[in-house]
Amino acid sequence: MKLMKTMLCGALAMGLSGFAPADTLKIGYSDWPGWVAWEIGIKKGWFKEAGVDVEFEWMDYVASMEAYGAGQIDAVCMTNGDALVTGATAKPSVCIVINDYSNGNDMVVGQPGIESMKDMKGKKIALEEGFVPHLLVLKGLEAAGMSESDIEIVNTPTDETPSVLASKKVDAICAWQPSSGTALKEVEGSKPIYTSAEAPGLIYDCLFVSPETLKSNREDWVKVAKVWYKIVDFLKDEDNIDEALEILSGRVNVKPDEYEPFLDGTYIMTMEEALKVWEEGEGLKSIYGSTKISDDFNVKYEVYEKPLEIGVYLDPSITKEIAK
Amino acid sequence: MSKRTKPREPWFAVGKPLSGYQAAIPMALSFVIPILIWCFAAYAPFLWHVDYRITMTSEPSDKEAFPATYVVDDTMEESFFESFQDSIRQDNKILKEQREAGTVEVASARAGRRANQKVLKNFEPVMRANGWFTTEKTEENVSAYFKAYFAATYETWGKLAAGELKPASGTLSRENLAIVKDNWALLSSVSPTYDSGNFLSEPIYRLIPEGKKVVGRPAYLPAPHEVVVRGWQDFRGESELGELNVWEKYASSLRVVISGFLLCVLIGIPLALLAGTFSFFARLFEPFTDFFRYMPAPAFGTVLMAIFGVDQQPKIALVFLGTFPQLILMVANTTRLLEQPMLDAAQTLGARKGQLVWRVVVPGILPSLYNDLRILLGWAWTWLVVAELIGTKSGLTEIIDTQGRRFHFDHVYPIILLIGLTGFLTDQVLANLRDIFFPWATEGKKSPLARLFRWVGSRVQAWRDVDPPVAPVTVEASTEGESHP
Repeated sequence: MKLMKTMLCGALAMGLSGFAPADTLKIGYSDWPGWVAWEIGIKKGWFKEAGVDVEFEWMDYVASMEAYGAGQIDAVCMTNGDALVTGATAKPSVCIVINDYSNGNDMVVGQPGIESMKDMKGKKIALEEGFVPHLLVLKGLEAAGMSESDIEIVNTPTDETPSVLASKKVDAICAWQPSSGTALKEVEGSKPIYTSAEAPGLIYDCLFVSPETLKSNREDWVKVAKVWYKIVDFLKDEDNIDEALEILSGRVNVKPDEYEPFLDGTYIMTMEEALKVWEEGEGLKSIYGSTKISDDFNVKYEVYEKPLEIGVYLDPSITKEIAK
Repeated sequence: MSKRTKPREPWFAVGKPLSGYQAAIPMALSFVIPILIWCFAAYAPFLWHVDYRITMTSEPSDKEAFPATYVVDDTMEESFFESFQDSIRQDNKILKEQREAGTVEVASARAGRRANQKVLKNFEPVMRANGWFTTEKTEENVSAYFKAYFAATYETWGKLAAGELKPASGTLSRENLAIVKDNWALLSSVSPTYDSGNFLSEPIYRLIPEGKKVVGRPAYLPAPHEVVVRGWQDFRGESELGELNVWEKYASSLRVVISGFLLCVLIGIPLALLAGTFSFFARLFEPFTDFFRYMPAPAFGTVLMAIFGVDQQPKIALVFLGTFPQLILMVANTTRLLEQPMLDAAQTLGARKGQLVWRVVVPGILPSLYNDLRILLGWAWTWLVVAELIGTKSGLTEIIDTQGRRFHFDHVYPIILLIGLTGFLTDQVLANLRDIFFPWATEGKKSPLARLFRWVGSRVQAWRDVDPPVAPVTVEASTEGESHP
């Protein structure tokens, strides 16, 4: 029996040994070009230089939100709309850095012959229900004078949408780069019929942290935000473009030349631009207005029941602090 | 008639084993046939249409018709490739008209400079094919690399325009050579050498895409040679997709499977032995296990992430969860197969319960247990891909999943083959080792490894027999005495 006890203890130790020390900040990030940009700070060792202990966890987008909801990571890169969904269904969070707004990289891609959202009447579209592609499609339908009841949604993980489009089982998909680009390439003659460039500011891509860690590790998050603006400066310098492309494309394993257009579809904001977006206001030019619109959408389409208190999800203080 | 000393065995004898070369042939065929089917499907030209593989790319301004970014090595259908070329010709024609009319528009200086840099970049295949630029890009030299590349291309275009250099035949079309000359006239008007601070922002002419005809296969059916070449590059860390870190990921996958399996063995075997020996424990463990094994392990993925986090633990836990119920039932069953007389005899000799398990049951079932574990290790492998998708995508699954979704199946198949080979070879080695560990439990011909082992053993024995040890050997008192009443 003694042997068995030792074995069990050993097994238990093996199972438990993986729990990492709590002082490393864990941030989940995924393949959206605006978040892949964090990779520059990671590769260049800027976080260490800034004296902050962070670990970036590379995940699928929805998996990263699940991990955040389960309390396994301290922060996650999400869109403002999805932060509300995650907050209403799993765990609230606070936006401290606005990375970019989607400027075309989120797109509805139609099969050959589908020219506009109007052509989608009564047709099937594959997208990830309840998340950002869903929001974009609803916006697109609204712009075309239609509603959700005019189309049939096939719930599909975003990175599987290119395969679904190629199988010809649906008439359109909604996805972001690099998935949308793969779809365009694999299905010759397919084209974007509605993109986020037609609703700039509908989708802001941000870093959301948990309220607890913002309280206990605020200094560290200030350092993380500072590194972000160092990354922005690097990206905005024309001479660094090829080096940046090499790092960014390497993270998602696409060829650098293929990655370049992604940078146009994701408008990465300088600190001045971000400060303007942080100002409270109506409409898509302000993150408050944009988030309110997402909230209304989510309630209207019953993603969750009651409107949320948007203010708790947004905290401009860190950006304002480092802007001084 | 030829005289046979030994009549040939029939190929199709019911229930009789084949021997010698007769056994070897179907064994070889079992591998050769699938490979031949693959080759046939991939190389038979009449099955597929003609495609163009791009050897020099370009960027049309018509984003409506060409919304995707095409790079070298992408393939296109013939008609699409032709319209791709025509679109660029059209762009150049419009640009020429604007230039003659003096109405060339520049959206922004920065965007204009970048577009021109891209034209220079598109020329790279020609530079490489002619050996005009040979520097390799590494992670460290990226920025210097591009500076050197632009400078070299600048110089080359100057020489091509002046007729001092001639491209090797087939590397550059006449049409593109004319474009290079036009472009050089524009570029050199600003600066005769490459200087990123003094670079033309007014658009230059785009190069017409070039391509070569290939057999157009669906993306999921790359040809065997393509898979071999890609696999070789990927495994050596020279992938066109950047660093894939195959071996690091391989190690990570191995850790997941082996840790999950060992954890299973550590916890499962004692329980299964109890269940197999005592009816009480069988009743206690087995009904629930039997019920649990029908619940698909991947269904617990999100739960496991919530408990164990996003790194390796939830993955190990899934392998464990998927293998554990099978292990309990299988090993318990194996234990029950131990012949009853053995247990009776031990009990007659007064063995206590603990002794019964450790001294009779365990040694008695060891050869079968070993076999069970071999099968269960294979079982553990089957959970790998699902497991590695939980939380952070890791290990070989990251490559399989990410590249598969981008339709880069020529990068996916080598990885799948690697997993298959690992499992197959491990199993073969373990099966061979069984003959060495448990020579009494195998019948018929021994495996090659066991034969080698025996041969080495007999050599050592022979050598020792020649020179026997002189020191007296003390015989230890037998511990068997314990079992006597």
